[in-house]
Amino acid sequence: MQISGRFIDDFKTDRKGITPPLPTILRLVPILFYCAIAITLLLSSVFLLQYRIATQKRDGHRAQSGSLETQTTNAQSERTALETQIKKAIDLQNWVSGSRPLQPLIVEISRSMGPKANIIDLAVVRDEKAPAQVALSLKIGTDSVRQLDTTLEKIALQQYRAFSPTQTLGRGELDYRATLVRQGTTQTVPADPVQ
Amino acid sequence: MTSADLKSVLNFSSFRPEADDPSAAWKKRFPGKRSVLFGVGRASLSWQAIGKGGGTEDVETVRADPKEILTSSAASIKDKTDDGWCLVSMNTRYTISLENNLSRRPGSEELLKTNARSVLGGRYERGKLYAMTHNPETNSSLLVSFEEDQTRRAESMFREFGFHVGRMCCGTYVLLRHALSVTNTSKGSDKPLSTLYVVLCEGAVCALVQDQDRWLELRSRTDVYDADISAVGDILAPFHARLAPEVGITLICDTPLSGIEEVLSLHFPGRAITDLSKPGLLAGLVTQN
Repeated sequence: MQISGRFIDDFKTDRKGITPPLPTILRLVPILFYCAIAITLLLSSVFLLQYRIATQKRDGHRAQSGSLETQTTNAQSERTALETQIKKAIDLQNWVSGSRPLQPLIVEISRSMGPKANIIDLAVVRDEKAPAQVALSLKIGTDSVRQLDTTLEKIALQQYRAFSPTQTLGRGELDYRATLVRQGTTQTVPADPVQ
Repeated sequence: MTSADLKSVLNFSSFRPEADDPSAAWKKRFPGKRSVLFGVGRASLSWQAIGKGGGTEDVETVRADPKEILTSSAASIKDKTDDGWCLVSMNTRYTISLENNLSRRPGSEELLKTNARSVLGGRYERGKLYAMTHNPETNSSLLVSFEEDQTRRAESMFREFGFHVGRMCCGTYVLLRHALSVTNTSKGSDKPLSTLYVVLCEGAVCALVQDQDRWLELRSRTDVYDADISAVGDILAPFHARLAPEVGITLICDTPLSGIEEVLSLHFPGRAITDLSKPGLLAGLVTQN
């Protein structure tokens, strides 16, 4: 004989509308719900962390970019300054190179000055279209024209011939202007100092 | 679907039986919750706190009108529960009888709750609640009955003091069924047991004579004893002459009673006594099942 003792007879007044529990398999619904929340929180945290890291990297890159742009600007400024100086140097070199054929003439003019004369102003300009012609403008501090003759003799020794000379004398200054044209082909040119 | 339904799904309470669902075991209805087992006598009230894990405290019994006791002690007793849920063991004003030829159609035990007349026939009495246990080998059955008004009054009394009655049972009947289930474990008619079941619960006494597979005689009285258990012997003494000499006694009490074995030995000299009692037995049975 077997009698089950596992059932308890209940004499309580039963409430109407008692619903049975939901099937166990449906526990998956809240479990999945909580899993979804947990995964959402986890992913949100990961994404937030990555967003902060990316923002920091972006700000760092922006700062680095700004710094590099500043450096580039400075380098460009320095380059521009260097190019300007290089241009000046090249111009100077060209001027020096271009003036070398006239240096003997200028040296002779300078050496022709006597004890009581001095050069106030001297301009020697080569005509670009006619390089053989040189416009001379000489202002000498002297009281006599003899000094000018001496200077012209020295110029002639350099195989230059003066055309359209004009001279003005007044109050210790002699202003002489002429166009010098080189005669002959030989000329002693000083060595290039750059070389 | 309301927000309450959604909440109950999300906190998993929808997957547990409702608190007052009598078809579900107590431990499934209140997992991890504290509750109290009340024992209601005619002029006494006992209570036993049941912990979250099912552990029980000592029984406290006060002999006075239960309503008066609750008036003074309800608050302190309620503190022993989580939500005021309690079990009630009715130990008085019930009847346990041995009946023959009750209907055994499938579902008759469930039908007994809703339409007892169709199961009991002429034995049915209006205004009573019934429960029964069939002897699987014979046509005899144990039938317990309560006055419906009495159970309603008891529910109202506990509700008045802020308790929720989750289960109302007859402690003596529960103990008797437990004793029958643990002593009759063989299928069919193998190794049948002959014994005198003696059930004591909060002043109620029930004795059932089992001769092999047959239930021969049952005697049930309530409010027999209080502190003095000598009156138990007077109720049981007549059985001694009707029992065969080799038949022993199977004793079961809601909680071990000191001196009961001496009383039984006095009235049943020379008979073996098997004591199934242990502390918190009734509380354990009504909460585990």
